Amino acid sequence: MLASFVGVNTKINFIVKAATLLLVFSLSALAFGQSTQTEPPKTVATAIKPANKQEKLLLRNYEKAVKQYVALRESVRKKLPPLSKDSTPEQISVYQKQFVDGVRAHRAYAKQGYMFTQPLANYIRELIRKEFKGTDRVQVREAILEADTAGVPLKVNYPYPETKELSQVPPTLLLTLPQLPKEVKYRFVQRNLLLVDTDNGLIIDYMTNALP
Amino acid sequence: MKRIHIYLLTLLVLLVGSVHANLWAQTAAVATQSQVKSAAAGNSLLRVSLPLKDNSVRFGMIGDTGTGTQKQHQLAEVMLEYRKAFPYEFVVMMGDNMYGGESAKDYKSKFEDVYRPLLDMKVKFYASLGNHDEPAQRFYEHFNMNGKEYYRFTKGNAAFYALNSNYLDKKQLQWLESELAKDTSEWKVCFFHHPPYSSGGKHGSDKQLREVVEPIFVKYGVNLVLTGHDHFYERVKPQKGIYYFVIGAGGKLRSGDVKDNSVLTDKAFDRDMSFTVGEIVGDQFYFQTVSRTGETVDSGVLPNQRKKP
Repeated sequence: MLASFVGVNTKINFIVKAATLLLVFSLSALAFGQSTQTEPPKTVATAIKPANKQEKLLLRNYEKAVKQYVALRESVRKKLPPLSKDSTPEQISVYQKQFVDGVRAHRAYAKQGYMFTQPLANYIRELIRKEFKGTDRVQVREAILEADTAGVPLKVNYPYPETKELSQVPPTLLLTLPQLPKEVKYRFVQRNLLLVDTDNGLIIDYMTNALP
Repeated sequence: MKRIHIYLLTLLVLLVGSVHANLWAQTAAVATQSQVKSAAAGNSLLRVSLPLKDNSVRFGMIGDTGTGTQKQHQLAEVMLEYRKAFPYEFVVMMGDNMYGGESAKDYKSKFEDVYRPLLDMKVKFYASLGNHDEPAQRFYEHFNMNGKEYYRFTKGNAAFYALNSNYLDKKQLQWLESELAKDTSEWKVCFFHHPPYSSGGKHGSDKQLREVVEPIFVKYGVNLVLTGHDHFYERVKPQKGIYYFVIGAGGKLRSGDVKDNSVLTDKAFDRDMSFTVGEIVGDQFYFQTVSRTGETVDSGVLPNQRKKP
């Protein structure tokens, strides 16, 4: 009799403890979800510094070529009626057309590799391959390749079609690549890296297979 | 013995409550054509659950809108109906403001025609850029971007930061950090296209973006993050103390895309298009999400995380 009473009591104790644990667990999970815990911020990666004189020279020449392009497009832009921050769609369309036509006419000579020279293209390929490995590489590839860029012509001095999606360039990758002025942006079309004018969408140059 | 009963009863109540909430969400999610029509005609489903207090900050939230389809128009009509009862002052846009072409005709059919009544009521739209948006949109008069791809504006006790998550470069990050560092607003709200947290099957959480922005949000006390890209509605469980919303069903819907049993989800709705309305009253953020049929699919109030009670 006593033994069976002790047995029941043990079971009761077990149930009480289990229920308590469950409640405590639920409440702590809730509190964790709402918590305002802060972690020290991770250091944001910055553009990779050149490892040697050769790389330094490559990057200096690239920077120079980009600056020359910006100077050229600015000379065209300044001749256009300025676009205000309160423009109508018609004004935006006209402005973009005039801008792209003007720049194209001034750089009819441009060919693939004019900015992304072969040694620079190799450097960028290697940079991305080295900096993005494992999960990071998978995530970067997913972000870029999910964009529907099929049909975007890889043609220098042609505008990026406005009907086509602009693939997101993952910020981690942007912080790794050589920095650009605001007038020029990196874009991806599948694994190919493009340099595109921010305001008129002109494809300034491209390199193939930048993404591993 | 009595104690056991109390414990067991509590557990039972919790269990029944969660099952009931789940069933309610599923029932509320089914949209019929007649409901859509009645919503557009000032229907009876539409209920405002926000407090409508004096001097509060009232705003609408939409994302992934730019289709110009009939469904986008229907949702805009519900937004208009809602505004008659709750006069929100402005609307923030989470990007993909224009799918496909961006000719003058597209601006008209995918934006102006859809929101004309709201524009006529002087409701201001503040846009951010998505992966379908040309940077030239920053010059468009009705997007109020002041010619900038990323910018800040304030309303009452809240500061709003529009970011370009499609091209978040070093310059933009430095700008964000320096602006947040000096910002003394009670509420700091960031809105942009790609979600750092999302239960979407098609896209989901943008981890590369999160790696870069989350430390900044945490360090400078950002309260609320509004995003789109995934074409549904999701209120994510607070992450590191920050409230995240995915509001990406303003013009497109990816039905059934929210992953089942996602650990991120506090509430999700992927059965119809939706918009969200918010009201900041002191240290409280009230929100309500309404579907194309006029049904409330989520609502609630969130306290300011940085304020001590």
